[in-house]
Formats: sequence, C-alpha cells, structure tokens
Amino acid sequence: MKNGVSLYVHVPFCEHKCAYCGFYSEPVDAHNVELLVDALLTELHRYELQDPIRTVYLGGGSPTCLGRQYLMQLVEALAAQAPEAEEFTVEANPGQVDADLLTALRRAGVNRLSIGAQSFIESEVRFLGRGHNVHDTKQAVHHARAAGFENISLDLIFAIPNSTMSSWKKSLAAALSHDVQHISAYALTLEGGTALQSAIAVGEIVSIDEETDRQMYDIGIETLAQAGYGQYEISNFAKPGFECRHNLRYWANEPFIGIGPSAASFYRGRRTTNIADVRAYVDGINAGTPMLVDAQVPGEIQVACETAVLNLRRMEGIDLEHFREQTGYDAAELFAGEIEEHRKAGLLKVADGHIRLTRQAFAIADRVLSDFSTV
Amino acid sequence: MGTDHIRNFSIVAHIDHGKSTLADRFLQLTGAVSERDMKEQMLDGMDLERERGITIKASAVTMKYVHEGKEYMLNLIDTPGHVDFHYEVSRALAACEGALLVVDASQGVEAQTVANAYLATEAGAEILGVINKVDLPAAQPDVVAEEIEHVLGIRKNECFAISAKTGLGVAELLDAIVTLLPPPADKANEPPAALIFDSHCDEYRGVICYVRLFAGSLRVRQRIRLMRSGRTYTISELGKFTPEMTSVDALGVGEVGYVIANIRQLADVTIGDTITDDAAPAATALPGYVPPMQMVFSDFYPGNNTDYPKLRAAFDKLTLNDASFSFVPQSSPALGFGFRCGFLGLLHMEIIQERLERENDVDVVQTAPTVSYEVVTTSGQVKRVDSPSELPDPQKIAELREPFVRLEIITTNESIGPLMKLAESRRCKLVKTDYLSPTRVMLEYKAPLAEIVYDFYDVLKGISHGYATMDYEFLAFEKSNLVRIDILVNKTAVDALSIIVHRDKAAERGRRMIIRLRKAIPRHQFEIPLQVAIGGKIIARETIKAYRKDVTAKLYGGDVTRKMKVLKRQKEGKKRMKSIGSVQIPQEAFMSVLDTGE
Repeated sequence: MKNGVSLYVHVPFCEHKCAYCGFYSEPVDAHNVELLVDALLTELHRYELQDPIRTVYLGGGSPTCLGRQYLMQLVEALAAQAPEAEEFTVEANPGQVDADLLTALRRAGVNRLSIGAQSFIESEVRFLGRGHNVHDTKQAVHHARAAGFENISLDLIFAIPNSTMSSWKKSLAAALSHDVQHISAYALTLEGGTALQSAIAVGEIVSIDEETDRQMYDIGIETLAQAGYGQYEISNFAKPGFECRHNLRYWANEPFIGIGPSAASFYRGRRTTNIADVRAYVDGINAGTPMLVDAQVPGEIQVACETAVLNLRRMEGIDLEHFREQTGYDAAELFAGEIEEHRKAGLLKVADGHIRLTRQAFAIADRVLSDFSTV
Repeated sequence: MGTDHIRNFSIVAHIDHGKSTLADRFLQLTGAVSERDMKEQMLDGMDLERERGITIKASAVTMKYVHEGKEYMLNLIDTPGHVDFHYEVSRALAACEGALLVVDASQGVEAQTVANAYLATEAGAEILGVINKVDLPAAQPDVVAEEIEHVLGIRKNECFAISAKTGLGVAELLDAIVTLLPPPADKANEPPAALIFDSHCDEYRGVICYVRLFAGSLRVRQRIRLMRSGRTYTISELGKFTPEMTSVDALGVGEVGYVIANIRQLADVTIGDTITDDAAPAATALPGYVPPMQMVFSDFYPGNNTDYPKLRAAFDKLTLNDASFSFVPQSSPALGFGFRCGFLGLLHMEIIQERLERENDVDVVQTAPTVSYEVVTTSGQVKRVDSPSELPDPQKIAELREPFVRLEIITTNESIGPLMKLAESRRCKLVKTDYLSPTRVMLEYKAPLAEIVYDFYDVLKGISHGYATMDYEFLAFEKSNLVRIDILVNKTAVDALSIIVHRDKAAERGRRMIIRLRKAIPRHQFEIPLQVAIGGKIIARETIKAYRKDVTAKLYGGDVTRKMKVLKRQKEGKKRMKSIGSVQIPQEAFMSVLDTGE
C-alpha cells in the first residue's frame, strides 16, 4: 500500500451526551477507562501493520474526557506506532482542556487540534447541551496557540433551533476573530434516536426551515471565503495548505483503520465495523477476536461507486485519471447517464479531467450523489 | 325419454345472502359431493373468487334427486353476485326454467335482490322465494316475507324458510324445485339447438363450452356448426359437471353439460351462440345475448418501457378466460406505450388488476378509470370516446353525452337524509321512493355513471353504517354539460391526468386534483407549477416548491456503508417514477385524479 494508511481511534466516552449527537458514546464515569485504553492498543497491535500510518485522528465521544493520565498514555502509544504520521489530530472539548494538557499533547506529537466550539452564542451552546461555555472555547484556543499548536480547527454548527441569521453571522465572526487555520461548518443534522429528534417530533422544539438553513449555508461559504478560508469539501474550509489530510484520505476512499467501539475500517479491500458497546468490545479484543457488526468486501463496481460519491463531496471532485488508476473504471463512462442528466440541470460540470459539483449543487448534493451510489 | 325428470334452475341473491352455501348444501343432500370431499363453496373455481367471496364466472352442476320414488336430474347453474356481472346472471337465467331468489332473513331485501328478481322475470323464469339464515338470532322471517311480497310480488306464504348452513328446510326446497318449477319443453325430435351460456379455456383440452340443449340432442363425434360464426367442429367429448367433469355419450334435450370440440381459442366462441348439427341444422338460432357493454376504461402502462411485451402477454393470457375484458394498444406522450383496457365495472377492473399482479410479475402504472362518452361532432357524426385524450377540439363538438344508469338504493330510514345529500352532490335525480317496511326504503335514481362508478358505493356504505345496498343498470347516453380538465405539470399538459367532468364541478375537482398532486409529486431542484386548464384557460394553480437543502453534513470513513445504503434507496425511489419532461411523477400521482373529495 504505497500511500500507507490512516488511523482513526474512537473514544466512546463523554461526560454527558449532547442532545443532538448520534455518535456512539457512554458516560465516562460508568466505565473502567484503563480497560478501554488497553483494548484500543491491543486492537491496533492486532493489525501488525506493514504499511506506514500517514495520519492519526483521535476522536469520539470526547477523547479529552479520559483524563490526563489515560489520554497521554494513549496518545504516546499512538505516536510511537505512527512515527511517520504527517498529521495527528485530537478532538478537544473546550471544557476539558487546560494549558498543561495542551502542552503535553503538543509535546507528545499531536500537531492538529480540533476544538468542538459548535457556536459562539451562549444560548446556542447551552441548547446543544454542551458541557462548556463560550468563554471555555476562547480559553481553549488561546491555550492551544500558547502550547505551540499551529494547526487549529474549530467546529461550528448552524441551523440550530432558535438560531437566526444574525446569530449565525455573529458566531462566524467570533470564530474568524481567532484566526484559526481550519473551520468545519455543519448544518445541524437530526440523528435518529437523539433527544433533539424526539423533542422536534413531539413539537417541543421547532427546527429551522429549509430555506433559512440554505441561506445560512450560503452565508457561511461566502463569509469564510472572504476571510481566506477556501471550501474544499461540503462542510470544510481551510486556509491554503491546512486542509485536513486525514479527512481528505476518507474522501479519496483511501484505506484506513478505525479502532475502538463502533469504529469502521476499510483495510485491504474489506469494510468492517466494530460493535458499538464498550464492554462487548473490550471482551472481544481480550478474547482475541474483535466483535464486528458488519463486514463486507465490496465488489469493484461498489468500490467505484463509493469512490465517486466520496470524491464528489470534495471541491476537487472526481479526478478522472486518478479514479481510473484507483478503481479501474472510467468514471465518465460508468456514470455517463447520470453525469449527462445533472450536467444539463446545472448541478455537475466536467472540465480539465475532473467531474465536479457546481457551486449551487453543494446544498443539494445528496440528490446528485444518490445517482452515483449504484449503477 | 321426455324432459319431465329435468329441472334447470339458478340461485340468485344479494352478495353474502348465502347463495353458495345453499348450493353446497344441495350438492351434499343429493350426494353429488360426499361429506369428506366438501370444501366450502364448491362452485367458486378460482382462488380469487373464494377469497373475495364473490362468484365471478357462472358454472353448472348436475345432481340426481329422488322424489316420490322417481329420479330427477337437477341442473343448477350458478351465477355471479355482483352488479358488474349482471349480464352473466342473465345468461345463466336464459338457460333455466326457474330461479331461487334467496334473501337473508336478517338483512331483508337488498338492491341486488331487486335487480336479480327483475332479471329473472325478464328471462321468463319461475321464481321461488327463499328466506335463508332463519336460524340466526337476528332473523325476522316474517318481516322479510312481507318485504318480498311488497317489493317483488311473491306471496309471503309461498316463501321457503330455510337455513342453508344447518340444512333446515333444504330438503323441502329440493322437493319444491321438482314440484313447482316447470320441466323444459320437450323438443326431442327437432334438430339440435344448444345454447352456449358460458365457456372457459383449459390449457390442455382447449375451449370447454357450457351448453343447455333447447332442442334435439348432441352425441360424441357429431359434426357440429356454431350458427352465428358458421364455424364447424367435431365433438370430441360431451359431459356433465357432477360437479367434476364426467363424460357422457350424448346430451339430450333439456339437459345441461359441456361440449369439447377441439376449439383452440376462447375468441372463436361467442357466448350466446347456438350449436347445431352441421348436416341437419336448426332452422333458426336461439335468441342469443346482447354482448355485455364495457362501461369503465383505464390505461395500463408498464412501469418500465422494456416490459411492454411482458404486459401484452399478460393481457393475452387474461382474455383467454375473460372475454368481457378487452385491451387495445395505446400510446401516451406522457407515459409511452401501453394499453387502453375496457371493463364491465370497477369490481371487474379490480379483479383484472389483482390477477395481473398475482399471475404476472409486471409493474404497471395505471391511469384513473373513466367511463365511456358519446360525442356528436359538428359534422353530425356520433362517436364513442373512452379516453379524455380522444375528445376532439371543443369547436368540433356539437354535443357531449354521458352514460346514465337506473340506480336503486335500499337503506334504513335514519340514513335517508345524508344519502339524498350524497346523491344530489353526485347529480343523481330521484325518480321514485318506495317504503319496503316502516323502517326500510328503496330509492330509485337516474344517475350519471361517472359519478357512481368509482367510490360511490364506499361512501354510501360509510354514511349508512353499512346498511345501504345499491345496484344499477345502464339506461342510455344523454346530453350533459361536460368539459375536459387538463392538468399541466411544469407547463406541460399530462394527457394521462385529463378527466371529463360536469362543468359545475370542474373548478372544484381540478383544484382538489392539483392539491393531491402537490403532495404526491416529490420536490425537485426547481419549482414546479401545477395548473388546471379548461379549454386552454388556466383556472387554478398550485406550486411544488423546489428543495433547497439536501446534503449530508458529515460524511467521514465510519459512515460510508450506511450512507451508501441511504443513497441507493433514494435512487431506487427515483426509478419507480415516470419522467415527464424534467419532472419525475410517481405512479400513485396518476390515481390522484380519482379524489372526489368525500
């Protein structure tokens, strides 16, 4: 594997669950953290990787809720396994980091920090059920920079119930004032089984209408572009050279290993997903067989479709030559009908060896992407 | 040998009044079917019939019965129980000398009881009144006998009170069939004349004709001629249904049975034709049948255009066993190539639909059913129009006529008010009111078929809490103030959505249609105007807003498998739609035309 692999590590713990979050996590105080950290490292060793790890991403959940001792133990072990990693990201919950911890992380080899700001409007942060406030976020950015981080990303969420165009603009402006290198701006997604979804279903909370959501998205793209953040994916923006390499590898459909409960992997042609249960996961790893909830080897066509869907989320789109090398298919031929239909509708453009979504297609990308999901 | 020992009769009844159960009991009492072999409702051959509790095709059975030491041959010709199949009832009755009119002792006389009584009288059959289910706690045989006398003119003291289920009074009824119904006329010495009253196609033996001999006899290897078509055949097998097919050497005058003569296709046989001897034929054919009139039409298009041959083969197969269903190729600018299909009525259409789905693996898009219209052009021509799209330009139409029916509704006093309101809203004109009893009334209307053909019966059942029953019979085409409503989707007229309606209702109906369409058609990336037009003039408009946002905010490695599944489903959904211009219209949208608003 000439390009190496990327490594994702899932910490399935949070201090408490946010109202909107659909990721697998459990309350940290109900579990033995040490057992999990041991299991994570055991799982990684099981792979007996021959290929160099290019990027590491430690996410969750909240990795920072592990506490300094276990977090550092994990980070140091990962760093030792990935001496050639060009990017090592840790997700940080603003309420759970201080100057010391950030300094330690930086020293251990973490070179990118993704801070879960979500919003710079106090009421919105509270609404989302985050365990932090706006001040915590500002402090976290400040400490990160002091600790020597030169690649900091802020996560923002828009279309939060009760938010307005003006609150979104304020939140954006506050984020820009920190002059970080990377910003992810996500529309709030209603995930099945979350507290927020049920509150909306019963009418306790009213979601933002589609038109406002669209306008917020457009304003976001525009504002960030003016501030020098180029959009390189549907929800991701960066100053030149600071695009997240780990995530770019996902959208390129490059192989990756995901370890931890609920984590997915795409490695040596096989897609697997670990069980989303901490105890079952730990038991499985300790017994020598990770418990999988899904395992499949996608066929060539399936891989080509996945690659197309993922590639099209990037501003770069499908690089026809690269696509052919990677999948063995000519994308322009394989999806000829789909391309023609959406090109006519002004949603796709084909130029200089690339197939790309048009600017107006980004907001409705799933309508286009669904047609590439199967042939 | 004479015909004294033969009795030919039918059982006619409103649906669920126990016709099939009585037939079963006859089969048992006469020993035609042993207790062990008895399955419920023996005569209903197709699964579909047994499931729906409806007899679709007439069938016949020959039984032996001993009365006062003499053996009689009883031929029971079964009849369908639904309004759509009136003509089959008439056909069956034309082959009989008598009819048992069965009425449920707790339900009383119903609309189809009346219609059936008319048919039996028209056919000249002797009618025996039978009050069934007298064993039920809710039975009111005396009240029902009054109704029968009042409405049908059958004397109440001459009615037979029975329970087909327990067998009570059934033997006495069999005796009455022998003693009260007339035997067939004895024309044994005349040339043979056998009425074909039904037929079906057997995969291995070809067409099997159900016949009643009115004169002479038929024997195996006889050279026969179908008098109307002129075709000649040689009889290879004769037989009776006992109820299984039992071959005989000859069928004598007055008898009922079947003829097999190497006839390949159902289309080669006209129901109502007369079979006679080729060398010494009858002087005149028996009075045949007026062919059934198709009153309801609907277009069927394959969901996928490449399935056209498959759909065609499926329809070919269906017509083999149902000559009253027809189809002709049709092409629609909106829907491509398909077929315009004619049915006797809505139930008939539903049965065909079900058989199409059950017996063939074809996805179809079906347009809303419509009735047949008559157009008088300015040049004086009269032509039938079965599809709104066939209607000439308004300038070329001198007169538009629609079919009217005589509609009979029997209901309880409490529901008269809402029922009259319903009838009025459907342009029905009250002709006659007749009290059957202090609590039940029969209303006779003159009604436009188009107004009652689709959901009238369901609405009627709803407002009468299930008590009202109805039946109708075609009267004539009459002039009406009709207009065609066109529906424009994204500025393009969709022919498959056009309907013909009364001018007074056009605007309201059109508006309701586009409101339903707005819900049925998914949003697109552009705004879609929906318009209602009458003769080029837009009278209503709705808009399907464009979707503005449809994108997964986060898609990283872990979600790929799940997301791909969601996207694939989205694409599958799109495949099941018909593309009209740049708009994708789902199949159910075409049925939105049917919404009448109640």
